[in-house]
Amino acid sequence: MPTLSHLLLALGQALLLFAAAPLVSGLSRFERAKMHTRHGPGIFQDYRDIAKLLKRQDITPPDAGGVFRVMPIVMLATLFVIATGLPIFTRFTPLAAVGDLITIVYLFALLRFFFSLSGIDSGSSFAGIGASRELTMGVLVEPIMMLALFVAALLAGSTNLGAIGTAIADGEVRSAAATVLAGCAFAFAIYIELGKLPYDMAEAEQELQEGPLTEYSGPSLALVKWAMALKQTLVMGWFIAVFLPFGSATELSAGGLLVGLIVFVVKLFVLFGLVAIVENSVARARFRLTPQHSWLGVGAASLAFVFFLVGL
Amino acid sequence: MTPLEFLGLSLALSLIGAFASLILGRSETLASGIASVAGVLAAASGLGAGLLSLTGPVSTLALDGPYPFAHFVLRLDPLAGLMVAVISLLSLVAWIYGLAYVREYSGRGVGGMGFFMHLFIASMMLVVTADNAFWFLIFFEMMSLASYFLVIFDEDKNAVGAGFLYFFVAHAGSVLIMAAFFLLANAAGSFDFEAFRHVSLSAPMASTVFVLGFLGFGAKAGMIPLHIWLPKAHPAAPSHASALMSGVMIKIGIFGIVKVALDLLGGGQPMLWWGVLVLAFGAVSSVLGVVYALAEHDIKKLLAYHSVENIGIILLGVGTGMIGLAEGQPVLAVLGLMAGLYHLVNHAVFKGLLFLGAGSVIFRVHTKDMEEMGGLAKTMPWTALSFLVGALAISAIPPLNGFVSEWYTYQGLFAAALSGSFLVQFATPIAAVMLALTGALAVMCFVKAYGVIFAGPSRSAHAAHATEAPAPMVTGMVVLALACVCLGLAAPWIAPVIGGIASATLGLPTTTLADGALLIPGAASTTVLSTPLIAILLLALATLPIVVKAMFSGTRIARRRSDAPWAAGYLPDIRMALTAKSFAQPIRMFFVPLYAVRKSVAGAWSHITIGFENFVCLARRTEPWADTRFVDPVTRGVTVTGRWMQVIQGGDFRIYCLYIVGALIVLLAVAAH
Repeated sequence: MPTLSHLLLALGQALLLFAAAPLVSGLSRFERAKMHTRHGPGIFQDYRDIAKLLKRQDITPPDAGGVFRVMPIVMLATLFVIATGLPIFTRFTPLAAVGDLITIVYLFALLRFFFSLSGIDSGSSFAGIGASRELTMGVLVEPIMMLALFVAALLAGSTNLGAIGTAIADGEVRSAAATVLAGCAFAFAIYIELGKLPYDMAEAEQELQEGPLTEYSGPSLALVKWAMALKQTLVMGWFIAVFLPFGSATELSAGGLLVGLIVFVVKLFVLFGLVAIVENSVARARFRLTPQHSWLGVGAASLAFVFFLVGL
Repeated sequence: MTPLEFLGLSLALSLIGAFASLILGRSETLASGIASVAGVLAAASGLGAGLLSLTGPVSTLALDGPYPFAHFVLRLDPLAGLMVAVISLLSLVAWIYGLAYVREYSGRGVGGMGFFMHLFIASMMLVVTADNAFWFLIFFEMMSLASYFLVIFDEDKNAVGAGFLYFFVAHAGSVLIMAAFFLLANAAGSFDFEAFRHVSLSAPMASTVFVLGFLGFGAKAGMIPLHIWLPKAHPAAPSHASALMSGVMIKIGIFGIVKVALDLLGGGQPMLWWGVLVLAFGAVSSVLGVVYALAEHDIKKLLAYHSVENIGIILLGVGTGMIGLAEGQPVLAVLGLMAGLYHLVNHAVFKGLLFLGAGSVIFRVHTKDMEEMGGLAKTMPWTALSFLVGALAISAIPPLNGFVSEWYTYQGLFAAALSGSFLVQFATPIAAVMLALTGALAVMCFVKAYGVIFAGPSRSAHAAHATEAPAPMVTGMVVLALACVCLGLAAPWIAPVIGGIASATLGLPTTTLADGALLIPGAASTTVLSTPLIAILLLALATLPIVVKAMFSGTRIARRRSDAPWAAGYLPDIRMALTAKSFAQPIRMFFVPLYAVRKSVAGAWSHITIGFENFVCLARRTEPWADTRFVDPVTRGVTVTGRWMQVIQGGDFRIYCLYIVGALIVLLAVAAH
């Protein structure tokens, strides 16, 4: 069982990420505006939006049932659990019992289950199509994710995310080429999972009126928006934890944690900067052509697998 | 009481229930009441037998049979105990549920239904405990026949067609199993399984026996491409019988594969390719099963295809276990087989639950078409909640039971890939990716199923006016939903028991599978999982958003319902609501080649049907062959002779006088001579 200090680290990490998530999404908006040479909102705009929405009336569509009501809470609770398992500031997982790669993949499936179901439950046809797309993207992405992580796990000898990160940081993996390719494939999968252009299929604003979110309003919408920001932060943190763990704390000490925190913020800033460049220089891909894109990820992950097999 | 006495009591009660139900068939309430009471008692007693023999020791009962080769031997080893426990649990729930559900079938022979249900359950119990090939085959046939009559219970064209297909495939499978057993019996000189266990076969002979057994039992399990009967037969049966067929009967196929490969052929080392073959069939079955399920909008057909998928997942575990045994890695062998057996138990529970949920919905809405349902969560809350638990469990969502067994399956595949030969290193990660794809598709499929049935607007008048299912049906579903939760959260205490069963079956030492509240895939592994911890965290951390929401509630106006969902400025219409078909449309568009496989398998089946029809034609032609060759010439000869006789007997008396004169002349000539 986890020790008390690990448990405190896990909960502190989850709360810190929760508190900082709107800042991360605000930063994305800020960068986007700068690239459009617009003045744009400040980086704290998302906090103001959420606070405003929390004070508004909650309006539910007439046919919505219990799933629609509980989804924002389930979504945030699941993200908190994921946040306790990911090695964010440290090299090891704060809660090893949650930090297995398969557990994390399936916790994201729990999130997706309720997120999409709420779309159908709202009774809106836009939300329903958004739900269908959200799950279809999951079907296309999950095999890439699993193969890339499985190859990395095989190279490291464990499916624990902390152990994989440690092996990569220490250069103990057998095949560098396979690791780099698996990292590329995983980065691609993560990018789709972020739900940004050109792959914002489910919550496409102009096309599907934000998909499963169509009917949310007031405090529920505030929680969902907050959860979406937290999800993007966590997904990126997942990639950093496995493939870019350099600089995080190897043991539980105040100094190490501080360095880990600063390094994580820098990495997050750089990666979201790269994401912003991609996001603002492409148009939305056609939904029916996305499998052609995802084959690219499958190809990269398969190549990593082949490199692992031959031991390159 | 000993486990065997419990088993005997259970079988006796089933027999009493069966005949009481048949005799009292005139009075339907009495017949179904007595059948259910006897069924519940039999199941409780069976549960005792199963649970008592989970940890051993093995108990056997041997009697002399009617023939020297047919010793009546019953053997309750841990594996059989597990199967008996699963059969009993599911039949217990099915009987409780059936108490109300058979009303749907009143006036159509409820007594007969009780009879066949009892016979079906008893024969399943006997199949898993029989320890003699002769009796095993007898009970296996009994099980197939009893379930055949449940499949054709509706007696419409659909059900009879499905029944024929089921009958055909079941018997094709039986023939293969028979061939495998005869080969073993030939080598062992006896039909007793005990003798099979000690015989050592040559490698090609052992492989032949394995392949025959694998295909024979695989047809019963419903693995692709031998699954064609499953999505037709299971939906045709009454829902509590479907729950038993999908939940338990197809597991007898898995049980048979494990029995043949690991128990009966246990005398020699299994070959590596056996395990890889099982793995390959498992991977293909799991992906194709769920892809086909997504395209269905008949709720019971959808669930039946998911049985194909889950059989695939169980086979992945079993295959990993066989690979471990072949490669001489005892930890891997136990881990893999344990994952398969755990998923077997889990699938029985959540698939039983989902079929019962589907039955409750059909009971109220009177259609199997999901497009006619919708919005039932508001009118049938208990059914909806139970179905949601089942849907989450089958989609392998943590911390429920489906996730636990899939996690062990992944860990088994990972351990095999880490230390196996090149073939294994190549095959197992691919199997893991297939499992991931299956998981993502299953989530989509059950969001669709729950969403279209229970969420959103009502899509028909029946759905709008539905009421909650009767109390016995709700009880049955809630019991299974609780079992799903318990099998997930109590995994750290259940996994070692199932691991013990796996190691007893394999004859290997046990391995570390749990420590305190942690699940560990083998002592050497560095990763852990804790479902109780995840559940506690989920519940505890859910308070945080609730608190955030409550903090701002002071200035907020109370929640209200809008008049209609937003529809881009148009008036919303029920025809705008999402349908099951449109929900799965992207997958049908992206996975076209996989659906082509189904078409070609269906094509193969139509060849079989055409072949069967040709055979019938040939038989019709063969039957009159004797007529044309023998009977017809004789009759023709008789007629011709008759005509000649007519010429002689012309009727003219003068000619008769002439005959007499002629005869006198001849006689005189003879006498004079």
